[in-house]
Amino acid sequence: MKRLGTWMALSALALGCGDSSSSSQRAELAFAAMVGAEPFVCGQEYSDLGADGASLVLSDFRFYVQDIELKNDAGEWVPLKLDENEFQNGDVALLDFENKCGDLGTEEMNERVVGTVPAGQYDGLRFKMGVPFERNHANHSTEPSPLNLTQMFWNWQGGYKFLRIDSGQFSTNDWRMHLGSTGCEGDAQAGGVTSCANPNRVEVEWDTFDADTDTVVADYAALVDGANLGDDQAADVGCMAKPTDTDCGPLFQNLGLPFGDQPGGTQSFFSAE
Amino acid sequence: MKPVFHILILLPLLLGAGCGDSEAASASRAWVWDLPETVPPPRVPEDNPMSEAKVELGRFLFYDTKLSGNQTQSCGSCHQQAVAFTDRLAQAEGSTGEEHPRSSMSVANAGYAASLTWANPAVVRLEDQALVPMFGTDPVELGLEGMEDELLRRLRDDERYPEMFAEAFPKALDPISLDSITKAIAAFQRALLSFDSRYDRWNEGDETALTASEQRGMALFFGGSTAAGATDALECFHCHGGFLLSQSVDHDGNEFNQQTFFNNGLYNLDEDGSYPEGNEGLFDITNDPADKGKFKPPSLRNIAVTAPYMHDGSIATLEEVVEHYARGGRLLESGDGKENPNKSSFIKGFFINEQEKADLIAFLHALTDNKLLTDPAFSDPFAE
Repeated sequence: MKRLGTWMALSALALGCGDSSSSSQRAELAFAAMVGAEPFVCGQEYSDLGADGASLVLSDFRFYVQDIELKNDAGEWVPLKLDENEFQNGDVALLDFENKCGDLGTEEMNERVVGTVPAGQYDGLRFKMGVPFERNHANHSTEPSPLNLTQMFWNWQGGYKFLRIDSGQFSTNDWRMHLGSTGCEGDAQAGGVTSCANPNRVEVEWDTFDADTDTVVADYAALVDGANLGDDQAADVGCMAKPTDTDCGPLFQNLGLPFGDQPGGTQSFFSAE
Repeated sequence: MKPVFHILILLPLLLGAGCGDSEAASASRAWVWDLPETVPPPRVPEDNPMSEAKVELGRFLFYDTKLSGNQTQSCGSCHQQAVAFTDRLAQAEGSTGEEHPRSSMSVANAGYAASLTWANPAVVRLEDQALVPMFGTDPVELGLEGMEDELLRRLRDDERYPEMFAEAFPKALDPISLDSITKAIAAFQRALLSFDSRYDRWNEGDETALTASEQRGMALFFGGSTAAGATDALECFHCHGGFLLSQSVDHDGNEFNQQTFFNNGLYNLDEDGSYPEGNEGLFDITNDPADKGKFKPPSLRNIAVTAPYMHDGSIATLEEVVEHYARGGRLLESGDGKENPNKSSFIKGFFINEQEKADLIAFLHALTDNKLLTDPAFSDPFAE
């Protein structure tokens, strides 16, 4: 979890940016993928997972985040303006902890989000795991990176996988978690998706978060807490986030998302450490 | 990556002044729809205008096995011209051998669908739909997930494609892209029109186009009385009406969302009217138990050549399809589809005698457009 300093006030960076230059500062958020107490390593086997203590070889761990905001000392939530790079575009960033250990994935990894905020002191963080509606349902074929990765396409619902954690290599013993918006409706006249009954964007908010020392940790063990991984109930392998996929109940609960008759709550997948 | 993105945005602005000639050239070859007067043109997205070069490129891509991960399948593997762009299978088989839960739909007239595939209200653009078989994993169809760079490399290395893409997308700086691939395939599918059956010739005023038996079958199909004295007993056209012979229709000028999904009583596994798990139609999207077993009524054009029938290919012949509707649902050991709580009220069952059944099936055969099945404009350019 150790890393270099984050809240670097870089007045130099803003040299070319006109008036706002004097009043903005750099911001960097560190993310980490864990499986219980162990860091996620692509291709490694983890044991004692879920309600039934299952063992899984995890081969993918990626998610999108949007609407990242920091809380200033006046208690106001201020948007983090993201840099543009291969992992960030507009309001969206991809966190990518896999290194193509298997057939899928990309060698490049990304464990941070970088951008600028107005100069000041910040002590809170909130964000959503997801892709904003307009971009989730735009033409994927013309989107720039990181929204052009076909492995994150989820076209049966006209959107992206917000979260993708796979085990194995597409054998029957796999357990996969793919999360995105479901229950979507479209209209040929409108030319695309017009609404989704289940947006499935995971909301995370911490009143205290020190970006200099804290890391946003996504924990697979916390995600599958209570799930029976050895006993795949529905037709899909693992939880494919379909409203009919009964394997999803405990995972949605841990994400704070409603699922069927089960109400939403507070997520436990992400923690600040 | 970032510089490329900016150049792509700027280039149309820079080129704008000099584009006059090529615009005029492409306008001179403006796309013309070859349609009878009874049929409106399809809706064409503003960002994907039709052109002959694009449709021809789309034809090559549609039939090219470079569009599957292991280069064993193309779109045309499951959508074969000789059988109206279906595949004779009850359930399709993907490039890696995985069995699809559904039967391959005809893609003839796909440009008129209010929603694409069997039961998905979210997929309404052919350009978007193409991404599902290309990159989907549940099930694997063409198996290109994560291979987008490899796909583009295959096409760029081809001796034919660089020129074809440049001609089809004359304003694009880098014409071989995922976007242009899906747009060309979509344009080809919009051009896959099938309105040249004997039924169409009858509609255009040719009174010799249909036999007496076919005419009697047509009357039954569109609400005529049966010999048993019932009016509109068959109710066929309520779901399979209009120029497409499907009420799920969209076209240029249409102002309404005409998506429709019906339960036709194929299964009834429990008190909720469940269908086999993972293949329950609209319910798989909405999770509303009232949507169990609801599927889009497919167009009945070319239906005589697209056996087997239904979303899962579970009925082999048209005779059995008529018997299914005559009974008002299918009786299986697992339950009586006739009693499915979600079943459409149009599927009430009816009495039909052997002559009427033969007439109705004769009419369904008259919906075959033989030109579609052999037209070189739609054929596999890689076939010898």
